[in-house]
Amino acid sequence: MTLADRIAAFRTTLEEWLRGLYHGMFTHPAYEKVEAEAEDTEDAFMLACFPDAFGIPSPVSYYTAELLPYLEDEYQAWERRMWDRQSVIERKGHQYHF
Amino acid sequence: MTRFTFFGGKGGVGKTTVSSAYALECANAGLETLVVSTDPAHSTADVFDQEFGDDPRPVEGYDGLSAMEIDPEQEVQDHLMELRQQLNAQLSATMVNEVELQLEMAHQTPGAYEAALFDRFVEVMRTADDYDRVVFDTSPTGSTLRLLALPELLERWIDRLIDKRERSIDLYEKAAIGNQEPRRVMEGDPILARLQGRKERFEFAGEVLREDASFYLVLNPDELSIRETARSLETLAEADLPVRGLVVNRLTPEPEAHEEGRGATYLRDRVATERERLERIEREFEPPVVATIETRVEEVRGSLLEDVANDLEIGVADDRPQTE
Repeated sequence: MTLADRIAAFRTTLEEWLRGLYHGMFTHPAYEKVEAEAEDTEDAFMLACFPDAFGIPSPVSYYTAELLPYLEDEYQAWERRMWDRQSVIERKGHQYHF
Repeated sequence: MTRFTFFGGKGGVGKTTVSSAYALECANAGLETLVVSTDPAHSTADVFDQEFGDDPRPVEGYDGLSAMEIDPEQEVQDHLMELRQQLNAQLSATMVNEVELQLEMAHQTPGAYEAALFDRFVEVMRTADDYDRVVFDTSPTGSTLRLLALPELLERWIDRLIDKRERSIDLYEKAAIGNQEPRRVMEGDPILARLQGRKERFEFAGEVLREDASFYLVLNPDELSIRETARSLETLAEADLPVRGLVVNRLTPEPEAHEEGRGATYLRDRVATERERLERIEREFEPPVVATIETRVEEVRGSLLEDVANDLEIGVADDRPQTE
């Protein structure tokens, strides 16, 4: 293996590492944050659609029931998140990587 | 010209009689007319002495008159069934039960009946091109009228839902960095499409109700029914749906002057009280009294209906009550 090859190999590894580091430190947390925000908004949406799941009657639940067939993923995820959430900090805290 | 006429009022005041009579009047004036009854007890069938179904059917013996009866319970069930079918087609087996529960619950909320009725009203209004006049005999619950005040409220609600959904999708799209596939995409989102469809329906309903419909309240000359009418007037006024007129039904016929005896005395007293109340109604309520109908000895049906129709002074051809 020539020197040039070894340098090239080293640089590839370095680049990979750097990209990983950058991704881990900046991109991913940012991505997670935005997605968590999206999930929160979605939770609010779900709650507005199906407040009767919590015993609150809604004038539109008859209409929003029509959305149920299309909300499989959302519904499952929503339920899971509702179970998980014991406190505000617990969920919001996920975004920070200490 | 208003194509849709709604008759509302407390239970048992004779809405069905009045709306059938009005429909008959319209039909006699040469207008193609449809009577829509939403009373689960279905008294239109009794008035015309024939059975009607969920689809408009010509009334035998009367030209240009059709009738249909809507059963809110049935509507709710149908809606539920339809959604169940979609559910089975769309969802994985594990989720079906979960969602099924939610579905059932949504169909048992207090508003389900009203929502189903509302849907059906809109449907009828949309497909009423064949008729010059559609007369709605609303169900006795005060909620039917309140329901007509609903479109704007529902529109706003749906707007909020759409907004939330759009925001969350937008965030998902933003969260997808680089080559990541976003979890949801705005384009072709079935939820948004559904909500949008609903919104359009509400808008349509709101517009038609404001511009192409007139409301009449039927009442009896008694305290309860006067109070109920006052409440209904308020609700409708709040919703920007002014009541065109009041129909006072079941007035006691006055005995002849020479008649004496217990029956006649009773009737005379009764008539006097009713006259007072009638004056009060005319004084206190804004919409004009467009008709007063005397009690008939028999149930109003058949030829008696023609009589009642003649009593009505609600304009058929023009959109203003003639008494104005």
